[in-house]
Amino acid sequence: MFWKRQVPIFIVALIGSITLFGWFIDQPDVKEFIGDDATQWFDVLASFAIILGALNLIKLQIQKVLYQKPGWQYSVIAVLGFIFAIVAGFFVKGVDDSVAQWGAHVTSDGTLFKWMFDYVFSPMSATMFSLLAFFVASASYRAFRIRNFEATLLLVSGIIIMVGRVPIGGVISSWFIMYLIVLGLGIYVNSIKKDTKVTFVFVAVGVSLVTIGGIISDWPVDQPGIFYLPSIQEWIYYYPNVAGARAIMIGIGLGIFATSIRYILGIERSYIGE
Amino acid sequence: MTNIEKVFLKIGSIDRRWIFIIIALVVVVPLLVPIGLPIRATDTSKSVYDAVEALPKGSKVLLSIEYSPSTKPENHPMAISMMRHLFRNNHKVYVTCLWPDGQFMAQDALNQVAVGEFDKKYGEDYVLLGYRPGGEAVVKGIVSNIRKLFSVDARQTKVDDIPMMDEITNFKDFDFLFSASAGYPGTIEWVQYAADPTGVPMSSGVTSIQVNEVMPYVQSGQMVGVLAGMPGAAEYESLIGQKGSATSGMDAQSVAHLVIVLFIVLGNISYFIDRKRSRKY
Repeated sequence: MFWKRQVPIFIVALIGSITLFGWFIDQPDVKEFIGDDATQWFDVLASFAIILGALNLIKLQIQKVLYQKPGWQYSVIAVLGFIFAIVAGFFVKGVDDSVAQWGAHVTSDGTLFKWMFDYVFSPMSATMFSLLAFFVASASYRAFRIRNFEATLLLVSGIIIMVGRVPIGGVISSWFIMYLIVLGLGIYVNSIKKDTKVTFVFVAVGVSLVTIGGIISDWPVDQPGIFYLPSIQEWIYYYPNVAGARAIMIGIGLGIFATSIRYILGIERSYIGE
Repeated sequence: MTNIEKVFLKIGSIDRRWIFIIIALVVVVPLLVPIGLPIRATDTSKSVYDAVEALPKGSKVLLSIEYSPSTKPENHPMAISMMRHLFRNNHKVYVTCLWPDGQFMAQDALNQVAVGEFDKKYGEDYVLLGYRPGGEAVVKGIVSNIRKLFSVDARQTKVDDIPMMDEITNFKDFDFLFSASAGYPGTIEWVQYAADPTGVPMSSGVTSIQVNEVMPYVQSGQMVGVLAGMPGAAEYESLIGQKGSATSGMDAQSVAHLVIVLFIVLGNISYFIDRKRSRKY
């Protein structure tokens, strides 16, 4: 119990304390440990973690095949793929030493490993990701609904970002957007007043004002800037988005700090299975 | 209920396979028959270009590749355009990878640009240091002592035998960093552990979905601009005056986005008609 519980907790508390409080201690050895040795340790541990991860993956997949759990057929492919990658990585290079040495063969043209990456991994990986376009389109169609004020804000800013980010947004004149806004406001006025004449007058005055403004200023595509989609989307990225992102980042930072303190003080012990 | 309302309701309950077919068509057709929409560079892309342009000739630039084939259409054109810009201005390029797949991407881009287009010499003009596991620990390792982390390059050549590595000990020896990133570990780790503590200027090219996360660093000045997704890559291609796959992809993305917006509008009209009908009965 001592070796499984107290010793790991002590190691975590000691190393955690040094790496955290070391930032505030002006001592060369401590600084070297934090900046150099600790990261080297992490690199070594990370390399071992890859081996452990691979072994764990193969163990789980083999168990799934042996006990014929649901979807075990896919696990057969996973195991075969794993073995193939091991063979291509460690045993069969596919080219002479003059073309590529062991280690460098991973990214060298003509090798078995590179073939596997180019013709198996890359197409499958790209296929999985490109399927997102179809699901995003389908999900947007069904989920983006004007149910309340917040949903409307999300929808309008989403549309502005989607159209404003791409070149076609740059060719949509700000005057066209102004006409759309007048028509949108007309629908809003009609839903409140429920009077066709009032709505007609509102829309007619709005359209006339926009038209007169356009004629006077010679219809520049990107003026006035507040109605030009690329400018609006840049503003959304720079201000509302940054404000939200910063709030999330500060929250995450505080969370990391609190969790680190819990680890150092030995309150958080999930890493030893408690 | 009018006929128009019925049509909209029918559209609202359309089988999603029709949506898939329409999206496939609007993506494929502009790729086959380009429209040639004009590319307008945003301020964030111009900042990246200006920062690279302002580097003195022969500057040492660290190019970090952290993306996989899944985001290749977005990130690869950025990496290629950045390499073109750097080699055109005769800078020395050091390539590292925080993602294992990144090494393949880096090798591919270097073969195309450094070897195929500029005939640059390995070890003197550019070097591929390769991938090391560890995420932010690798970044910290590069900051403190790159030679401890990379004793050999991706070709298994000793770093001490590579001429352009002579002047490099740690991150401060670089003049600029560009990170082509698709997630963790990537741009944010470079800002937090390398560029900000050392003061070495950095910039980044990220996927569209990451722009939200990195924009605070751009606004605060910790990063010099950002290439935001495929549009950012297309803008950079237009800034360096050499069009590539991002530019040709923009027509497809433009039309696809418009069609998605159209779907959203139709879906909402159908939703309102349905809601009005539900209230009525």
